[in-house]
Amino acid sequence: MGLILRRYGTLLGFLAIIVFFWSQLPETFLTARNLINISQQISMLAVVAFTMTIVMVMNDFDLSVGSTASLAGVVAAFLFSLGYPVWAGISVALLVGLLGGLFNGILVSFFGILPFVATLGTLTMFSGTAFLISGGKTIFGRDIPGTFSGFARSGVPLDGIGLAGVTMPFLSIMAVIVLFLVWFALEQTTFGRRLYAIGGNMEAAKLAGIRVRTLRMSAFALTGLGAATAGLMYASRVASANPTQGSGLMLDAIAAVFLGMTMSEEGEPRVLATLVGVLILGILDNGLTQLSVDSYIREILVGAIVVSAVAFSSISKQKR
Amino acid sequence: MISTKWKTAALALTLLAATGVQALAEKVVVITPFLAQPGTQFYVEGFTKAAEENNWDLNVIDTAGDVAAVISRIEDAVTQNVDAIVINVDPAQVAAGLETAKAAGIPVVGMDAGADPLLVANVTSNGYGMAAETSVYVANRLNGKGRVVMFVLDAFPPVQIRGVIADAVFKNHPDIEVIDRITPDVQDGGVADSRAKMEALLAANPDAGSISAVWAAWDQPALGALQAIEDAGRSDEGIVIVGIDANPQARDAIATGGNFEASVAQDFEGIGRGAADVVSRALKGDTIKESVIYVPTKLITSANAK
Repeated sequence: MGLILRRYGTLLGFLAIIVFFWSQLPETFLTARNLINISQQISMLAVVAFTMTIVMVMNDFDLSVGSTASLAGVVAAFLFSLGYPVWAGISVALLVGLLGGLFNGILVSFFGILPFVATLGTLTMFSGTAFLISGGKTIFGRDIPGTFSGFARSGVPLDGIGLAGVTMPFLSIMAVIVLFLVWFALEQTTFGRRLYAIGGNMEAAKLAGIRVRTLRMSAFALTGLGAATAGLMYASRVASANPTQGSGLMLDAIAAVFLGMTMSEEGEPRVLATLVGVLILGILDNGLTQLSVDSYIREILVGAIVVSAVAFSSISKQKR
Repeated sequence: MISTKWKTAALALTLLAATGVQALAEKVVVITPFLAQPGTQFYVEGFTKAAEENNWDLNVIDTAGDVAAVISRIEDAVTQNVDAIVINVDPAQVAAGLETAKAAGIPVVGMDAGADPLLVANVTSNGYGMAAETSVYVANRLNGKGRVVMFVLDAFPPVQIRGVIADAVFKNHPDIEVIDRITPDVQDGGVADSRAKMEALLAANPDAGSISAVWAAWDQPALGALQAIEDAGRSDEGIVIVGIDANPQARDAIATGGNFEASVAQDFEGIGRGAADVVSRALKGDTIKESVIYVPTKLITSANAK
């Protein structure tokens, strides 16, 4: 019994949340349309959380993902406003994310700065750069090409599988693609196994001949790339970019990874578990809004659920 | 064994059941990313009072600055099948959500949000009207004769329209001469640079009476000009200063009875009530022709600044 609760406590909690909303909102909650809505609403957070998992596997953190996301959106929008084509804006924005992540990786692995400190510093730097480029303003309206904002509003029609009038949004599809890529990298390649080895014991990994520095650096670069991807998805969804719009993503992404970590026996981050964490956060937002629960009570509840899940998992591990 | 986690969850669920379910009243949702800002709080206060009078089941959602979350919450409200949605954010940024609401036939009303074909109507203050109030105040104070300095910001549409009106009013008085039309650097809000620009103008026009009035399109340049005039020791020349928005600093300056004589206050609570009015008309099925509905503003002078 204890073992089951320990292993599956969070999963059971997740199912309980779904059953609760289903019983309270029998007509609207478990509908294809609402579930697809949720998948679209969480897609940006999901991409950040999935790629955040990559560095958290090594017990590292990246606090700069939110400002990287904002910066990527602002860079793309700024280039659009100068008349550059959509593909150019997107490529440069992704490159900025990759280089920003690489910079984080160099600070952490070559200069040996604690990730918390290094990425706190770059958080401010990236955010300042976004403010500088945008002049502190929101870039919107005619400056944003219709093909760019149209991406977030369209998707693949699901008429073929019997869901007439419902489409699978491109944003959700993006999240699934990133999920698959991260899952493949972490679970199916030596790259991933080495990251887990570094997370298990960095000294031992070094002694075993794993190139810890290069691996940490590339992991941070991937997290930066993921954050930039999410930032572009966000900018597309709101058809605009401003220098603070991604800032909410960072804490939620870390919370999602932590929620996921309560599901593995060793307390390691696993990207599929991170998905459950993201789903818990997204479903709570969606369901509580539909139940007209006050936004501030919603925030308290979400925080309390994260803390209690992690506390429960940590207590049950101490007992072992 | 019942763990802490389940106790917490049970408590949470009880709380939800208690707050969540209400029956039959018309459901109205206000969604804003800016609830922490003072102006928004007044809108919401006005709206809430009107909602109570109408017995609406009102839910106010704050997304704490997150605009994408506004779209998500609009989608949720549509799924929940509410009767009306009110937003307080640029409609162009949440068009994805507005389209969902439109497809479901749920009216969306803007509360100082910006005009958009996807909104039933936007309720706001009339920028043209506010500029007319202050520029006419200046013209009348000068008895139609004098040299006026303007502070404008044509790059920002809501402020640009104010300048257009002041231009027209001053042009309509043959003896009023606009000696400079200044666009201050607004990086710091506009006070410091307006002050520097005004100091330069005062130096270039050293004679008493060579500057009769300062018309500013918003309060910060007016405050900067006031500082420059006071520091130059020229506050007794009777230079008339006016601003727009009546922010607390401007009200204080106006209340002292010095050179800063007038500004215009928006009725934020009235905008909230106005938005509620549009909602109730939309719920009744009225056709609302005007895409923007203006709530009257108020000229603030030393008589009513406090």
